[in-house]
Amino acid sequence: MSKKTKPTFKLTALAAALLAVYGHAIGAENPESPVSGSVSVGVGNWSNDRAQQGIYDGMRESGTYGLFDADLLKRDDTTGTRLGLKARNLGLDNREIGLDWMRQGNIGASLEYSRIPRDQAFIYNTGVQGIGTTTLLVPTPSIVPGSGSNVELGTARDRITAKFFKKLGEGLNFNASFRNETKDGTRPWGRGGAPEFAVEPIDSTIRIFDAMLNYSREGLQLSGGYYGTQYDNANSMVTTSLTNGTNPFFLSLPLSNQSHELFLNGGYNFTPTARGTLKASYSRATQNEALGNFGGTASPLAPASLDGKLDTTLLEAGVTAKPTPKLSIVGNLRYRDFADKTPVQGVVFTGTTPTVYNTPFSYTNTIGKLEATYRLPEAFNLLGGMEYNAQDRQVPSVGTLWVPFRASLDETTYRLQLRRSMSETVNGSLAYLHSTRDGASYTPASNPAGEPLQQAINPLNIADRTRDKWRAMVDWSPADKLSFQFALEDAKDDYGGPNAYGLQEGTGRLYSVDGSYQFNSTWQIHAWFTRDENKANEITQNSATVTKFNDLSEVGDSFGLGVTGKISSKLKVGAKAEQFRSVNKYNQSIVGGTLPATQVPTPDITNTLLRFNLFADVPVQKNADVRINLIHEKWSTDDWSWTMFPASGPTPWAYGTTTDGTTVTANPKQNSTFVGIRYIYRFQ
Amino acid sequence: MKDRTRRYGSRVRDVFLLSALLLLAGAHDIAAQPAPGKESPEEVCKACHQEPFNTYSSSKHGTKADLRAPANRGGCLVCHGEGALEHAKKGGGRGVGGVVNPGSKTVSADTKNGICLTCHQGDTARLHWQASVHAGRDVACTSCHQVHTSHDKVRDKLTQPQVCFACHKEQRVQINKPYRHPILEGKVSCADCHNVHGNNPKQMVRGSVVETCYQCHMEKRGPFLHNHQPVTEDCTICHQPHGTTIANLLKSRPPFLCQDCHASSGHPVQLAGPPTGRTTSTSALGTVGRGCLNCHTNIHGSNSTQNSATSGRFRR
Repeated sequence: MSKKTKPTFKLTALAAALLAVYGHAIGAENPESPVSGSVSVGVGNWSNDRAQQGIYDGMRESGTYGLFDADLLKRDDTTGTRLGLKARNLGLDNREIGLDWMRQGNIGASLEYSRIPRDQAFIYNTGVQGIGTTTLLVPTPSIVPGSGSNVELGTARDRITAKFFKKLGEGLNFNASFRNETKDGTRPWGRGGAPEFAVEPIDSTIRIFDAMLNYSREGLQLSGGYYGTQYDNANSMVTTSLTNGTNPFFLSLPLSNQSHELFLNGGYNFTPTARGTLKASYSRATQNEALGNFGGTASPLAPASLDGKLDTTLLEAGVTAKPTPKLSIVGNLRYRDFADKTPVQGVVFTGTTPTVYNTPFSYTNTIGKLEATYRLPEAFNLLGGMEYNAQDRQVPSVGTLWVPFRASLDETTYRLQLRRSMSETVNGSLAYLHSTRDGASYTPASNPAGEPLQQAINPLNIADRTRDKWRAMVDWSPADKLSFQFALEDAKDDYGGPNAYGLQEGTGRLYSVDGSYQFNSTWQIHAWFTRDENKANEITQNSATVTKFNDLSEVGDSFGLGVTGKISSKLKVGAKAEQFRSVNKYNQSIVGGTLPATQVPTPDITNTLLRFNLFADVPVQKNADVRINLIHEKWSTDDWSWTMFPASGPTPWAYGTTTDGTTVTANPKQNSTFVGIRYIYRFQ
Repeated sequence: MKDRTRRYGSRVRDVFLLSALLLLAGAHDIAAQPAPGKESPEEVCKACHQEPFNTYSSSKHGTKADLRAPANRGGCLVCHGEGALEHAKKGGGRGVGGVVNPGSKTVSADTKNGICLTCHQGDTARLHWQASVHAGRDVACTSCHQVHTSHDKVRDKLTQPQVCFACHKEQRVQINKPYRHPILEGKVSCADCHNVHGNNPKQMVRGSVVETCYQCHMEKRGPFLHNHQPVTEDCTICHQPHGTTIANLLKSRPPFLCQDCHASSGHPVQLAGPPTGRTTSTSALGTVGRGCLNCHTNIHGSNSTQNSATSGRFRR
């Protein structure tokens, strides 16, 4: 008998190869041990700041960091009790720790804390005062660009999640969870009334609670319950003005809101090969906070609160069946109604006549889907499917339409796929998708009435669209130890409609190959390459006589190479190299005019990330290793987003002319090396 | 038992295994419950499959205190089938005896999934598995999940994306672009947004894209006094959540993106191009810095009641 359980399904094999190369070591399992897992303690050092790559990992600055992780499980097989402790990055700002207790099949609870930092990759040099508060002062006169204070912006989310389950009876379980997430910090913003710098103060809390009963017996499964959310924002408005007190602007912030949902999901096996399913939910989200009068700038007739109500109804029924051993069918009907029941009120008035209203939008989608798969000889399958999506869209009856609207959209999608999935050597699929979208005639934009340019565009999300997409995937295992995976995708969207302008065409292509080889039981290698191409063609107007033709493209070339193995029976080593490179091109052709002398053509942008990672696990005891990590990152960009281009050469763009002077910069080349060492103790 | 089989050789072991399995085979519904003093299926299989046995017996599947667990319903036979008896009877070997190996690619996805769904169908996330895209494309539970391990990679936020990237190559690249979610850091995983066992549009965990995004970006839900229509409909009209080269995960750079919907005389139709110097001209600010958002800073929605004709333009 073979002592190995051979992972033979291709996707699993490839995933396993990836994880063997890139994953981390897990201790061998010992069923007799009541405690299993590992604890690691160490220290690491980054040689240089890494503002771009350190946005989320809590190691943005150069320096030394503590490394502490734990993954422990204590089992009592007699009672089925499991107590787990997981801690990750305890020495870093993105730390997390969780405790999980259960008496399996009966009752359980868990508590988890996780912090997600997000440090902006830029340095904001500014003279704006009051950052982090709801009162901002913008310098007047402008500071000399670059002479202000360097400010680092960012947020941190602190998330606590608690879960509980209890078995109530045979097949009947109760589950509940609660999440409390605070978000604090700052985010780059704008003054709105003028192109000047501002910073949004963030001090909000998200709470999500759900409770459900699950019933599951032989053929019937039901799940029903409650899902509630709450968003609390401590701030509702920011006041900004110039340092001399003039030009006050009042910036609104998202207001606290909440939602309540009841839901029921179910499934019933009519026969061993036929199953019916059901989904039903109804939710109401509300927002009725005080709107304020924004420094006395509101009309006395403006509403004091919105009385916002969003009602969402979902009804879905489906059936899956195998009427014959070779034929599988999936049918589904879905109705989703998003009804914005917020009353329409005048917000801005000329005298007593409302001129600007609030803007509720509602949608209703009705989707029908039918898909059939027929089993062919030689492990081939042929799939054919059709989906029809009819959408009713609200067109505001009062107020200003800034773009053309459509009262309905209809999209029909056809799918065809030939695949082979049970061969020892070659599996794969070839899929084709074709869809067409059109809709009702346009309701013209209305600001100002008769504006020809506004009427001449097909807005992106409601334009007529024909989509053709091909996807081919092949998994090939020419030998037990050698496997390849090839992927090829080609997608094309043709946009159109009654109007001449807007997005015309979008294309996407993907070419990818993965290969892995297992030299022997200890050494294996994995390599991959991917090219992704995305292009968009737009035709927009600059005036009645000037037209812009934009050819936008992004082409990425990425590769990875990894190897793991054992130099001796105890010394495990691994290395990987990855590069991600993308080139963005913005080609703008102007017919009937020229770019003003105050602007330059948009340059290309190239981003490159190269990352090397080496590790070695050196055993120091029977159940303890020392792991050494060496990482080198090389990031470069010529992104000009925050750059202006005078004749003297590119220089950081500064907000304002006579005011402000804020600049936003980043190091375009960021190279940093990490050396880490940690002691890993395994409980066995 | 392992010591005994080693001591007396493989033939004795086989006879012993066969006897044990025949006894089990005759026990019908309670085949998994050995008579006192007799070998359980696990013990039989353990003799040759020590490593899988170890991971099984220390896993939730092997927890005998849980009456629902395979350990109380036939042990290894629950997933590997009664053919395991014949497998052992014939002395084992790959594919011998009709033993079901859910890891084998010659076993159909339906068969593999049927084994798992016998117990796992009832979870609310898997109620609609049969209608999911994955099920319809012959993806099996074992394509992503590893059962015989203490650490199923796809259930760990840090390692889960690597499993998904076995098929989703574009996303492998996208999560390494300059603007992205903290997926590499294990703070956001594919499963935070996608229920790969379900049949929601785009396999979202909630009923729509926007409801899914609101789980972490609830401030975007509003409702606002001035709603930006695409925001209420689908975040992915403007954003590519897996990662982009444009700030804030935008699919395209302003003003190009904004001009896919907006055109009117004046600065909305401006030509793209960064400025040659400092400027407050709205017709030269749509490309540099935050582009159109330099001024239209509350682009997801605004609650301003300022009595201004431009209050609805997301500038305040």
